[in-house]
Amino acid sequence: MQVTQINADGLKHEFKVVITAGQFDEKVKDRLTEVGQSVKVPGFRPGKVPMAILRQKYGKSVMGEVLEGAVNEGAQLAVEQNKLRPALQPKVEITKFDEGGDLEFSVAVEVLPEIEVMDLSTLTLEKMVAEIDEAELEEALKGLASRREKTDAAPAGQAAASGDVVVIDFLGKVDGVAFEGGKGEGYSLKLGSNSFIPGFEDQLVGAKAGDETVVKVSFPADYHAENLAGKASEFEVKVHEVRTVVPAEIDDELAKTVGLENLAALKDALREEIGRDYTTMARAHLKRALLDRLAENHTFPVPQGMVDMEFDAIWKQLEADKAAGRLDEADKDKSDDELKAEYRAIAERRVRLGLLLSEVGQKNSVQITQEDLNRAVLNEARRFPGQEHLVFQYYQKNQDALNSLRAAIFEEKVIDYIVERAQVSEKTVSPEDLRKDPDAAPDAAEAKPKKKAASKKKADKAED
Amino acid sequence: MSKVQISKARAYDIVRSPVITEKATMGSEHNQVTFRVPLSASKPEIKAAIEAVFGVKVKAVNTLRQLGKTKRFRGYMGKRSDYKKAIVSLAEGQSIDVTTGV
Repeated sequence: MQVTQINADGLKHEFKVVITAGQFDEKVKDRLTEVGQSVKVPGFRPGKVPMAILRQKYGKSVMGEVLEGAVNEGAQLAVEQNKLRPALQPKVEITKFDEGGDLEFSVAVEVLPEIEVMDLSTLTLEKMVAEIDEAELEEALKGLASRREKTDAAPAGQAAASGDVVVIDFLGKVDGVAFEGGKGEGYSLKLGSNSFIPGFEDQLVGAKAGDETVVKVSFPADYHAENLAGKASEFEVKVHEVRTVVPAEIDDELAKTVGLENLAALKDALREEIGRDYTTMARAHLKRALLDRLAENHTFPVPQGMVDMEFDAIWKQLEADKAAGRLDEADKDKSDDELKAEYRAIAERRVRLGLLLSEVGQKNSVQITQEDLNRAVLNEARRFPGQEHLVFQYYQKNQDALNSLRAAIFEEKVIDYIVERAQVSEKTVSPEDLRKDPDAAPDAAEAKPKKKAASKKKADKAED
Repeated sequence: MSKVQISKARAYDIVRSPVITEKATMGSEHNQVTFRVPLSASKPEIKAAIEAVFGVKVKAVNTLRQLGKTKRFRGYMGKRSDYKKAIVSLAEGQSIDVTTGV
């Protein structure tokens, strides 16, 4: 096997590997003998089949197998001889192969760049800390209360206003004939909730308990029941009761409905929750700042192949968004070329950071313990209440999913590691500031970790 | 013995199939090839047929009758068909590739 380098350009290397016909034939023969030991051919005892017959029967498939093996071996040899660290699977192209002739193929590899990690202790970062606002606490309490509102019977004779609840019997008719699903008794309808056909609820505003009216409405043209769409109809409505909506009071009762002892306990729980929110947000900020800083300080070249892969992933996502009409406001006016340039830069940044993080992690032997993994699975499961069991099963059976989880944990740990070594100063900010930024750069804070995790995984695999 | 003349159809009838077994391949060291032939085929006939079909020179032909085994199936006695094998010795320098078919 002869390996010659024919091209070296930056991170790209290209080799030509030649395997002579004799060597190749030798391999095929070896493999055939091996096969001959086990196969059964009628007329022969196992292991006694002559080579000629084996070759005729299995020659083709063995040849393919050997070819693949030889190519892999060649590619590996090319990488090993030159002490390269490939970023991706080497691309192999067979340039010449005829039966009885020499086998020639080229191996194109992109290598991982030499990464010089900056002195982490020179990193200065600001960690945002926010005081929990009493006003915000109040807000949260009110939100909770409004979700637990109840209704009270209005005094007799009071006319229903929008926002009130009326208890009604109704019977709908089209052309004087009652239709299916057009009948209801003792139905509680909240006026202004738009749960009925447009126009229906408006006509009940002003009704009093005991009223009997006829509501005339037309079904909208795009109504889901085709036989009714666009038809004019009459509803005979009897109003039994008018009820007004009262928001729940913020008191110990409210606390009890959510399973806590009293109002103080509820407040504590809410405060804790808000605090947790702040911490995650602060962490997102910190991470973003850290990644920015890292990206600024490292300019090593990145393998084009990995950038392409990352870019393709982003682009596909973008195309899907575009098809669904969910394109970012900022991206709408830009031409495809502009977008491509923009996202290519993002892809490059992601790959670079991914490589950098994995490098830092490996150099400093950041390990993922089984415990970490378990905790992550547990967290994941908690997001699907009632289906925890299924989530566990999913992770047990799906190694890929577990791997992506592992990658995410790895990243978090590396970030922790860097933050520990960097100089972190604390800065007090208002909750608004804390909340504002991640939204302004959602791409960085939210989408990034996941994407990057994926690319990092690839990098890890390539190194194995 | 005078040479036997056979028709082309008869020649192809006689050469039924090569026998490919361990034992048969042993003969290849002595330039011998084995065929299945009809029970009615005679040695001169076989010689003529092989020469016509494969275009080779035949030195000698040995034949044997392989009697079918008696087999019991559901209590009834049955018998597999007999067949004749012909071991054909080719002249020096001649060969037939039995694995490729006619």
